Amino acid sequence: MEAFIEKVLLNPMEKFLETAAAFIPNMLTGLFLLILGLVVAWFVKLFMVRFLRMIQVDNLFEKSGAQGALRNLGIGDSLSGLIGRFSYWTVVLIFLTMALDALKTPAVEEFLARFFLYLPNVFVAAFVVVIGYLVGNFLGRATLIASVNANLPFGSFLARFVKITVYILTATMALELLGIGKDTVLVAFAIVFGGIVLAFAIAFGLGAQDAARRYLEKKLEEKERKPDDIEHI
Amino acid sequence: MPGGENPRDRWGWKIDTVVLREEVKSKLKEIGKADLVIGIPSFNNEDTIAHVVRAAQAGVAKYFPEMTTVLVNSDGGSTDDTKNIVENTLIDDFQPLLIPRRRDLFSKIITPYHGIPGKGSAFRTVFEIARQLDVKACAVVDSDLRSITPEWIDLLIRPVLEEEFDFINPYYLRHKYDGTITNSIVFPMTSALYGKRIRQPIGGDFGFSGRMAGFYLSKDVWETDVARFGIDIWMTTTAVANGFKVCQSFLGAKIHAAKDPGSDLSAMLTQVVGSVFQLMEEYEGTWKQVNGAAPVPLFGFQFAVGLEPVNVNTDRMIHMFGAGMQELGELWARILEPATMDLLNSVRGSDPFNLDDELWTRIIYDYAVAWHRRIMNRDHIMRTLTPLYLGKVASLVLELAESDSGEVERRLESLCDVFERYKPYLIDRWKR
Repeated sequence: MEAFIEKVLLNPMEKFLETAAAFIPNMLTGLFLLILGLVVAWFVKLFMVRFLRMIQVDNLFEKSGAQGALRNLGIGDSLSGLIGRFSYWTVVLIFLTMALDALKTPAVEEFLARFFLYLPNVFVAAFVVVIGYLVGNFLGRATLIASVNANLPFGSFLARFVKITVYILTATMALELLGIGKDTVLVAFAIVFGGIVLAFAIAFGLGAQDAARRYLEKKLEEKERKPDDIEHI
Repeated sequence: MPGGENPRDRWGWKIDTVVLREEVKSKLKEIGKADLVIGIPSFNNEDTIAHVVRAAQAGVAKYFPEMTTVLVNSDGGSTDDTKNIVENTLIDDFQPLLIPRRRDLFSKIITPYHGIPGKGSAFRTVFEIARQLDVKACAVVDSDLRSITPEWIDLLIRPVLEEEFDFINPYYLRHKYDGTITNSIVFPMTSALYGKRIRQPIGGDFGFSGRMAGFYLSKDVWETDVARFGIDIWMTTTAVANGFKVCQSFLGAKIHAAKDPGSDLSAMLTQVVGSVFQLMEEYEGTWKQVNGAAPVPLFGFQFAVGLEPVNVNTDRMIHMFGAGMQELGELWARILEPATMDLLNSVRGSDPFNLDDELWTRIIYDYAVAWHRRIMNRDHIMRTLTPLYLGKVASLVLELAESDSGEVERRLESLCDVFERYKPYLIDRWKR
């Protein structure tokens, strides 16, 4: 009976305690590295932002017109802020990798190996998302301004529609790059997008027929009036 | 070339040689030297260009019979009969015009221009030919003019020859509702920035000295928007900001071929006002030093003519202003100062509709600063101006409904006063 208890209960417990005793220092090391990483990242960010502001990088960036170009694309942050944030996350990522590596468990090591192989896809997908976000903002604003200047109704609605369409398209591309449900995502996008268009068409045809009639009547009335003859230049 | 530097012309301006065709070069060699050049840029103007060529020919024969004159048609690749019409148009019988027959008629150079398609590139070719012929004076006139008379040539050339002016701006008679971009933006801006009350800085038909043509050629702008569409305001501003002697000539009514009704107001506004703002960056050091504005001499016999009535739909303009307030308010809040935005919010409910001069001046100056700082895409900035501009036009039309032309002119002069008074606001915001 004693042999049985030793084999079934004590040996595994002993093994577990040995493994735990070996793992806990690693875990503490990992935790320490992670906390250290967050602190170092915060200092690096602070240093970068202050240093860049001290050497007036933001002013130079503004004067070169590049800051304006970023604002055109919907990014309001200063260059020092952007670099500071990038530095912060880079340091955090480095320390996180070190922390995970310190755990010295085969599963985590394998995960890290896979993660580093997968990382380029993440970067490309992130790049696509950023570009998509910027293009969506830009096209949305252009649509809004053009529709107001063309005296079209529902300008903000059109602008939002354009922006969201670009966002959805971007998300689809990013998910495709990450290899998540490749064909499913594409088909889902086609169905959702087609559905949205159809829904709007039906809504406009049925639900908004009075509004459509009023709009067309107004347009026809305007045409019957003599147009502006002003020569603006 | 020593040191790889560009050669200089006789006034010391740098010469960046323009590509001319072989036949043009040999024609220039054959002519050698000339006194005057009349430039006509064209692109598919077969319906109107014959009249312009005849007016130029009669003008030269009547007012400058002893001068060697070259007519330059700088064409943008017309696919119609424009070039043949210029080639074959001649006044055979000067007797009905009471002009004694000249021994030799003027020479013609008909050539396609090189470079970016646009009026600026066409003018560049005219400037180059003027430089190579070492002329005393030039005039450039649009090829779609229906109201040009021989007197226009005299009025655009004589101030150069007899009064030593370098640049002659046109002064047309226009309906009180026409030329609203000029009246409400370009005229007061030019006046406030450069201190010269030039009534129509973007008229399109100009006279200038050979020296001025050389100076224009020395500027490195021929690959920019100046070559495409901004040449008129660029010529005026360049002359004024560089201290050349400038005057105006009264030409009477300007009637030209009907413009494309589909031409986009927003694009027009973007091009014209964007060009003014672009020049503000180039001449920042100049306009900041200018205080007040002086009148500019006006030559020619002034007269009044009956102008065709102009239909204006102010309700539509006010509606578009309101739509802009509703839809573009967020973008305007980024472009305009908070105080300007507050004033603008009070305009919407005004009865009668009124967008006053102080507010309009602040709006235009805020736009100039936003454009300078690139707070968003420059094209987007400019295009958001359209509803505001229509609001100002509606306001002016309502205000001037019962006014005669004299009252309208005084009203526009007072708008210039406000632009000049608010200049410190612009300078302060520009440098902040």
